[in-house]
Amino acid sequence: MAASIYILVALGLTLVLSIMGIVQMAHGEIYMLGAYGAYYFCVVLGLHYLLALVISTLLVGVAGILIEKIFFRPFRQGDFLPSVIMAVGLMIMLQTTAIVSFGSSIKVVTTPFRGVITIAGAVLSWERLIVIVISVIFVVALFLLLRMTKIGQAMIAVSQDLQGAALQGISADHVSSFAMFFGCGLAAVAGGLMGAIFNLSPSMGGFALMKGIAVIILGGLGSLPGVVAGGLILGLIDGIVPPLMSVQMASLVGFIFIILILIFRPQGIMGRPSQ
Amino acid sequence: MSRRKLVKPLSYSALIIILFLLPLFITGPYQLHIFITAGIAVILTSSLRLIFTSGQLSLGQGGMMTLGAYTSALLVMKMGWPTWAALGASTAAAAILALLVGYPFVRLKGIYFALITVFLAEVIRLIAEQWRAVTGGSLGISNIPPPDPIVIPGLLHISFVSKVEFYYLILVMVLVTLLILYALEHSRIGVTWFSISESDFLAESIGVDTAKFKVLAFCIGSLFAGLAGGLYSQYNSVITPSAFGFVYAVYVVIYMIVGGARRFSGPIIGAVILTFVPELARVLKGYQPYIFAVVVILIIAFMPEGVVSLPERFINIIRERRGHA
Repeated sequence: MAASIYILVALGLTLVLSIMGIVQMAHGEIYMLGAYGAYYFCVVLGLHYLLALVISTLLVGVAGILIEKIFFRPFRQGDFLPSVIMAVGLMIMLQTTAIVSFGSSIKVVTTPFRGVITIAGAVLSWERLIVIVISVIFVVALFLLLRMTKIGQAMIAVSQDLQGAALQGISADHVSSFAMFFGCGLAAVAGGLMGAIFNLSPSMGGFALMKGIAVIILGGLGSLPGVVAGGLILGLIDGIVPPLMSVQMASLVGFIFIILILIFRPQGIMGRPSQ
Repeated sequence: MSRRKLVKPLSYSALIIILFLLPLFITGPYQLHIFITAGIAVILTSSLRLIFTSGQLSLGQGGMMTLGAYTSALLVMKMGWPTWAALGASTAAAAILALLVGYPFVRLKGIYFALITVFLAEVIRLIAEQWRAVTGGSLGISNIPPPDPIVIPGLLHISFVSKVEFYYLILVMVLVTLLILYALEHSRIGVTWFSISESDFLAESIGVDTAKFKVLAFCIGSLFAGLAGGLYSQYNSVITPSAFGFVYAVYVVIYMIVGGARRFSGPIIGAVILTFVPELARVLKGYQPYIFAVVVILIIAFMPEGVVSLPERFINIIRERRGHA
């Protein structure tokens, strides 16, 4: 379950990183916005949870396009540091906005999916099952989009060779808008889904960003199958360790594991070695 | 020409004298607290820049600071060490950890190095949180004693009871740190670091042991982060695992870039400006972080080289005007 959230967050992060060359430090806050959006439409306006999730995802995706235009466009493919700092500025602003408008108290999204289901002897709550199903749908949809559609192919082209893509008449601006739309949308889905299981708080983004970065490093920078593998591994660690020790121990084990991976295989599990 | 040469040292000495006289004019404990915070930020940001001159970005300075703070606090409180020895040990602890992890870490370049230091800092934070028997868990350690009094019989007796003594302690530490860092940067080692950051292949091809020098930079940078942590814990008397987490490490990077990473004075200016800006905006209460974010974004958007590039820009503009006229 945790794995599916990590994968969604990390896929968005990878998309933005490989197409725009920006480490989106505010990605965790986008995820937080998605969660609060779902909360707002579901709890405050009383819409159905799934509908709220869809609206929130679309809105945050559109917000992503605006963010790309306003904040990131001059920094695309540029130096690493200024873009990171820009993103951190954005992160602070989004977090402050959430605190000011929703308060720093913890919120809960109640979903219509209650009760548990038993599959082959394993007891699973409906909520968690829904999270997994929706995540799988989105991951598959993203892979199909990248493989089957023109814009998906354009995104891959830009991530591989910016100038080559431009020579083929692919507009980097256009593709970046799409990348931010999908990237932020994926983060928002993850946030909305997470909100159905755990509590919301304006500072929830830091955790997501950290896990997202961990997953893409683990899987190999820029590799989408790597993201899925990295997310599954990290999710597995987070699933196995807590019953034996504690939740924090799981993070500790996860991070030490990543440090070791980086030392012995810097390109990650699925990444190609760099020059 | 000789007059020009005199301007710099004179203005620096004037600045230092003003800083030493400052507690005569500013007596409010809160104002002094901001100056002390700024001083600690200067130590940390300048040490980050030292690592940066070797071509590496550390996002783990917060972790090293946490390590220093805990080392100093625990040695004093559990082992009964004198505070000054503990302060020394806290710098040593951070430097030793950097040495231990340094060689495998510096094999990574660019963003990979930055990220592995993030994970190292997270590991330090989680250990501080988990090892409850020793570290007090997520509540941290409180009632950390202040530094022992400095006594020179018949001459001097300083006991750390108010903010003023701490102000002087931090001021002296900042000056010593900056002096050491400046000397290092202008030494042969500093030149080697610069050559590595320009092109480590080239440096290696003329026989520079790049790994050794990168580890050295990482160690020295961490050493001063450990010092900042030890000082902070003795000043603040409370330390928690998450006080200097990832966010703080990112802030330190922001200080450096906003000030300008190219110049030695950049991180100092950046740390001071960005410590004071949010304080000036206190009236805005909940909206206060906006100011910090907006200032940072504007500076990065319009001055990618940082605040220190401002005088150069003015000079260039004036020269261009004259050229056209």
